[in-house]
Amino acid sequence: MEKFDSINGFHEFRSRLLKQFDPKVPTLVISAGTCGQASGANAVIRAAKRELLRKGPACGVRLRITGCHGFCAMEPSVLLEPRRTFYPKVSPDDIAAIIDAAERGDIVERLLYVHPETGARIEKQDDMPFFQGQARTIIGRNEKIDPIRIRDYILNDGYLALARVLEDQNPGRIVEEVTASGLRGRGGAGFPTGRKWGLFASQRNVSGKYLICNADEGDPGAYMDRSVLEGNPHSIIEGMTVGAFATGATEGIIYIRTEYPLAIKHLKIALEQAREMGLLGKNILGTGFSFDISIVKGAGAFVCGEETALIRSIEGRMGEPKQRPPFPIVKGLYGKPTMINNVETWANIPIIVAQGSRRFAETGTEGNSGTKIFSLVGKIRNTGLVEVPMGMTLNQVVRDIGGGIPGKRKIKAVQTGGPAGGCIPASKFGLPISYESLKAAGSIMGSGGMIVMDDSTCMIDVARYFMAFLKDESCGKCFTCRKGTQRLHELLEDIIQGRGTPEHLNLLEELGETVRDTTMCALGQSAANPVLSTLRYFREEYERHIEDKRCDAFVCKQLTGAPCQAACPVDTEPWRYIAMIEKGDYEEAYRVIRSANPFPAVSSRVCDRKCESRCSLGAGGGEGVAIRALKRFVTDRVDPSVYRPEKAQDKGRKVAVIGAGPAGITAAHQLSLLGYKVTIFEAENIPGGMLTCSLPAYRLPRDIVEKEIETLMNENISIEYGRALGRDMTIQDLMSDGYEAVFLAMGAHESWRLGLENEEVEGIFPSIEFLKEFNMRGIELARGHVGIVGGGNSAVDAARVALRQKEVTGVTLFYRRTRDEMPAYEEEIEAALEEGVRIETLISPVKIHVRQEEIEAAIREGVELETLVSPIKIHAREGRLTGIECVRNRLGEVDATGRRTPVPIPGSEFSVDLDTLIVAIGERPSSRALASMGLELDKGGRVKADRKILETSIKGVFAGGDLVTGPNTVIDAVASGKKAALVIDRYLSGRPLVEPAKPKLPEVYIEPAVHEESGEAPPRAVPASLPASERVKNFREVESALTEEQALTESRRCLRCDLAFTMEKQAGAAIGGVRHD
Amino acid sequence: MINITINGLAVSVENGSTILEAARFLGFPIPTLCHHEGLTPYGACRLCVVEIGEGPGARLVSSCTYPVEEGLKVRTASERVVRARRMIIELLLASCPQSKVIQDLASAHGVRTQRFKQEYEDCVLCGLCVRMCSEQMMAGAIGFRGRGEERSIGTPFDVQSEVCRFCGGCMHVCPACQLRCTYNQPEKAVCNACANLAPPCIEKEQYGDMMCYMNPCVACEIK
Repeated sequence: MEKFDSINGFHEFRSRLLKQFDPKVPTLVISAGTCGQASGANAVIRAAKRELLRKGPACGVRLRITGCHGFCAMEPSVLLEPRRTFYPKVSPDDIAAIIDAAERGDIVERLLYVHPETGARIEKQDDMPFFQGQARTIIGRNEKIDPIRIRDYILNDGYLALARVLEDQNPGRIVEEVTASGLRGRGGAGFPTGRKWGLFASQRNVSGKYLICNADEGDPGAYMDRSVLEGNPHSIIEGMTVGAFATGATEGIIYIRTEYPLAIKHLKIALEQAREMGLLGKNILGTGFSFDISIVKGAGAFVCGEETALIRSIEGRMGEPKQRPPFPIVKGLYGKPTMINNVETWANIPIIVAQGSRRFAETGTEGNSGTKIFSLVGKIRNTGLVEVPMGMTLNQVVRDIGGGIPGKRKIKAVQTGGPAGGCIPASKFGLPISYESLKAAGSIMGSGGMIVMDDSTCMIDVARYFMAFLKDESCGKCFTCRKGTQRLHELLEDIIQGRGTPEHLNLLEELGETVRDTTMCALGQSAANPVLSTLRYFREEYERHIEDKRCDAFVCKQLTGAPCQAACPVDTEPWRYIAMIEKGDYEEAYRVIRSANPFPAVSSRVCDRKCESRCSLGAGGGEGVAIRALKRFVTDRVDPSVYRPEKAQDKGRKVAVIGAGPAGITAAHQLSLLGYKVTIFEAENIPGGMLTCSLPAYRLPRDIVEKEIETLMNENISIEYGRALGRDMTIQDLMSDGYEAVFLAMGAHESWRLGLENEEVEGIFPSIEFLKEFNMRGIELARGHVGIVGGGNSAVDAARVALRQKEVTGVTLFYRRTRDEMPAYEEEIEAALEEGVRIETLISPVKIHVRQEEIEAAIREGVELETLVSPIKIHAREGRLTGIECVRNRLGEVDATGRRTPVPIPGSEFSVDLDTLIVAIGERPSSRALASMGLELDKGGRVKADRKILETSIKGVFAGGDLVTGPNTVIDAVASGKKAALVIDRYLSGRPLVEPAKPKLPEVYIEPAVHEESGEAPPRAVPASLPASERVKNFREVESALTEEQALTESRRCLRCDLAFTMEKQAGAAIGGVRHD
Repeated sequence: MINITINGLAVSVENGSTILEAARFLGFPIPTLCHHEGLTPYGACRLCVVEIGEGPGARLVSSCTYPVEEGLKVRTASERVVRARRMIIELLLASCPQSKVIQDLASAHGVRTQRFKQEYEDCVLCGLCVRMCSEQMMAGAIGFRGRGEERSIGTPFDVQSEVCRFCGGCMHVCPACQLRCTYNQPEKAVCNACANLAPPCIEKEQYGDMMCYMNPCVACEIK
C-alpha cells in the first residue's frame, strides 16, 4: 500500500484512482452489515462470487460488498449500480439471473420491489416510498463504499476534507465552520458541537488532550451508529482527525461496545489502512501533524454511554458517572481535557468541511440543522434506518417513509430516545422532530431509536419493560436512581398484576419526579421518562387498569385471563363451552352460553365476534378459533329449555323499560328474574328493535328472533306495543304511574343526512327507513340503479337488501375513504361484492388494499366498489332523483378516530345516474322529545349516561344501547341491558351503584382433552354458505351451521388459555356446573 | 474567594469548597447520609440536594459534590428541595427501616409513613465503608460490585481479604449498621473485623454479652 508523504501525493493518488474507475460498469452492491448477514446476505455474496468466478474475467459485472443500506425489512438486498435498480429479499438462487440481466444491461422484473399499496413494481431505489422522503447524506455513503477498502472511501471524496484542512493550516477556521453549521451532538443531548469544540480548543495542552468517539450504542432498538461504523469506518477516522487538528487533541479513542464485533473488525482494518497510507499516526500527510486513534471495547454496561462513566470505564474503573462540573472538557480522561462526541456527530464532520457550513445548514430547520438517522423499528412495515432532515414530522417518518403499520391495526404511539425516552401518542404525530420539540413532548431525541407501537401494545407494559431495563442498567450509585427505578418497576408490576390502586398513580408521579430531579447523570434524570410520558398521554389506560381491572390491549395476563372471555361484552366464557363441545356435552355448552347471554341464537349469527379477533390462536398471525360458528352449532341443536334460570322471589316493584330491542329485552328479562315487575313500552308493533327492523333476514331469520324473544318472556314482563316515549307518555308520567326506575333503550333510529340540496326529492331514503319499510312492512322502495352512500354495516345491509328487491337492476356503494377504513364487517363487504353490488363502468379502477385475490375475483365477476368518493350534488328532475355528482378524494392526515381523513381532489367531479339513493352515513337517536323531559344529551343527540352505571341526568332513569353509544353492535346492546338490570337492582335495593371491579378470570377447571396430534394442524372451520347465485333475490339464510365433525375438529383447535388460571385449582375441582349470576 | 448567594444571603466562600461545606459553615442545615468529613464526597444518597439556578433552568444538585461557582444562587430548603428530600427519606425508610440513623432523619423531616412495599435491607450502599477502607485505612479491602439491583459491597469475589486489618472502620461509619454487625455469624461479615475486635457498642454496660446475638443489633443503633 502506498504511503503519502505529502498532501500532493494524496491528491495524485486520488486522481489516479478516479481515472481508473469506470462508473458505467454494472456493479452489484450487496448490503452486508450485521443485519444483512443475519438475514442471509452472506449466502447471496457467496452465490454472487461463485457466479462471477464461473463467468470468468470476461464478465463485465463488478461486485461490491458494503455495510447496511438502511432498508432492513428488505434484507438481503442487492442494488445494481449505476442503474440503481433495487432488488429486495434476494435469495442466492436469484443471483445468476440478476447478473445475467446486469450483463445485458437489463433488469429482472419479477424480483423488483412491489409497492405495498398500489401493487406496482418499482425499479429504482430512489423511487421507492421508503427512500423518497429521506436525505441520506451519511447512510447513503454506505452503498458506495466497501468498508474494508480504503480506496473506495478515497474514491468517494474520502479524506479530502482532511487534506483540505491540512492544506489550510487554520484550526480556528474549522471550529468556526462547525459552529456555523449549527451541528448539534447526535448522541441525544443536542449540545452545539461547535461550542464544545471551541471550549475544548481553548484548553491548554499540558500533557495531552483526548478525543473520544462514543460508540457505546446501548439503546434497545437503536443501531444507526453500528451501521455507520460497519459501513463507513473511515468517515469516523477522518472526522476525528479533522477534529484533532482543529482542537489540538493529541490522542483519540473510539469507545465501542463489544457486542459490535463486525464494527470493531472494520474499524481495526480501517485504522490499520489509514496508518499505512500516512493518513493517521505520526506526521500525517507529511505535514508534521500527528494524531492516532485506539479502540477501547466496552464491557456491556448501558450507563457507560454516559460520558463521565465512559471515561471511568476507559480508565479501567467501575463505570459510574461523576458529578459535573468539572466537565470532561476541563478535566476528563486521566484528569486531562477530553472531548466526547457521538459516532454520528463525527460522521458529519467531513461532510461539513467538504460542503461548507452554509450548505450543511440548509438542510433541516433553524437551530436543528442537518440530518438525523433514526432506527425505525417495532410495528412498522418498513423497518430500517432512515435518515431525514431535522424538522420532518413524525407522521412523515412513520407513515410515509415507514409505510405505517402492517395489517389493520392502528398506530398508537412511538417511543423515541431509547429506554430513557418517552412515548409520543399518534395524536401528536404532527410534531416536527427536533431536540426541543421532543423534549417538550416528554420524550428525548436520544440516539434516535424509534419504536412504533400499535393498539395491541399496553403502555403500562411498555413502561414496565423499560423500567426493568433501567433498574438493571442503573449504575446504582445514586440512591434515587437505583431504588427509584426499582420502586417504579414494582409499582407498575402491581398495576399489571391487578393490585393497583389510585394511590399507585400518585406515587408513580411523585417518585418519577423525584428520580428526575435528584439523580446525578442523564440516565437517572431521564429514567422516569417512560413512566411520566405514558402517564401524561395514556393516563386513561392506567386508570382502566386500576379502576376497571382491564387491559384493553390484552397484554397484562392477570387482567385479561382468557382473551376470548375478556373480549366478550357480556362475559361469555367461550373457552368453556368450546371445551364442552369437545367433550360432546352440547347441553352443558348451551347452558354456559345462555348463562351469560340471553340471546345466544341471535348472537351466533350477527355477533361481531370480538372474541375471535382476540383469540390467542390468531394473535401470532394464524386464524382464531371460529367461536361464533361453534356457538351457532350449539344453539342450532340444543333446545333453549335446557337452561332454566333461577328466579328470585317477587319483589312487587315496578320498572319501566322503553324499547323492545336487544338492550331493553335483556334488561327486562334480567330484572324479571330478580323479581321485579317490568313493563316494556315499544313504539312499533313487534318486538326486536334493530334485530327485526334493520338486520336483513338472510343474516338473521325472523323466526330465530321471535323464538329467542319468546323464551325470555315470563309472567313478570309485559309489553305494551305502539307506545312511544315522548309521544304517548313522558318519563314523569311513568314515575307517577308507580314505576320506580326507568331504563331507556330506544336505540338510534334517525339517519344522518347528507346536507345537500334536493335531498327531499323522491327516490332518496335514509337507510333505516329503507330497511324498516322492507323488513317490517315488506315495502320495496328501491328500483333501477341504486346508489348507497356510506361504509358501515347499515350501508352494506342496505346494499344487499336493495339487491334482493325485484325492480333493482344494480347497486353501487360509494364510500369516501378506502375499503381499509370501512367500518362494516369484512365478511359482509365480501358477501355484498360476491352478490354483485356493482357500479357503472366509466369509473376508474377500484383501489383496494387487503385480500387482493378475493377482490380481484369479485372484480372479474363484474363487481365493483367505489371508494374515496363523496357525493357533492344531487340531480333531480320533476321532483324525482336522477343522479348524483361525486368528487374523488385522497387520504389526508389522520383524524381523531385514527383514520385518515378524505380530502377532495379539485376537478375530479363526476356524475352517476341513479334511480334510488340510500343514505347510510350513520344513525342517531330520535332525541328531540328527550331533552324536554329533562335528559341531558350530547352533540350527536345521544343521551348522556355514566359509562359504568348508565345513570342519566335524572335520578332513577338509566339509559343504554344505541341510545347512548350511537349505532353499535347487538352484543354491546345486550351487555348494556345486563348492566342496566344489575345497576337498577342495586339502585332499588339501596346499594351503592358502583362495585369495585374484579378481573374476569377463568374460574372453572375443565380437564383438557388429550388426543393424538395428527401432523398438520387443521385449518379454521368455515361453515357452508349459499353460493351467490342462489341467494340474490331471496332472503334465505346465507350461512349454515357447522357439521358435528367440523365442530369437533374446530373445538380441538382451542388453545385453552383458561388452563393457565385454573390448573392450580384443579385439585378437588369437578367439571363444574354453570354459575347462575 | 467566591461570591455566592445562599437562601438569599450574599456570602463569599473559599474557592474549592463545596456547596455543602459553605452552607454548613454558614449554619444552614443540610441532611446527609453518605457524607463524612475526612472522606471524599461521593454524592450517592442524594439527601443533600439543593436547588441552584433560577427560573426554568433551576435544578437540584447534590451539594456535597458541587463546587461553588461565582454568582451561584443556592436554595437549601426550597419547596422542591424539601419535597425531594422527603421522598428520598420515604424510600430509605421503605428499604432500611431498622436503621436508627434513618429513623432519626425521618423523624426530623416529619416523614411518618412510607407507601412502598416494606423491605428490610441491611445496606443503603452509601459507600462510607468503602471510602473509609481505602482513604483512611489505606487498605481498599472492600468495594462495590455489580450495578443496578445487583450492586453490593464486599471483597472481590467474596474471598476473605488479605489486605483487611480488621480495623472495624467500615463498621464505625456505617449508618445502617447491619451487614457488618453479624457477630454471631462471623463468616457472613464483610471483613470479619467485628469478630476480632471489641466494637464500640460493647462498652455500653447494659447490653453485656447479649448484643452479639440480637438481630438486628440494637446496640449499634444507639450511638
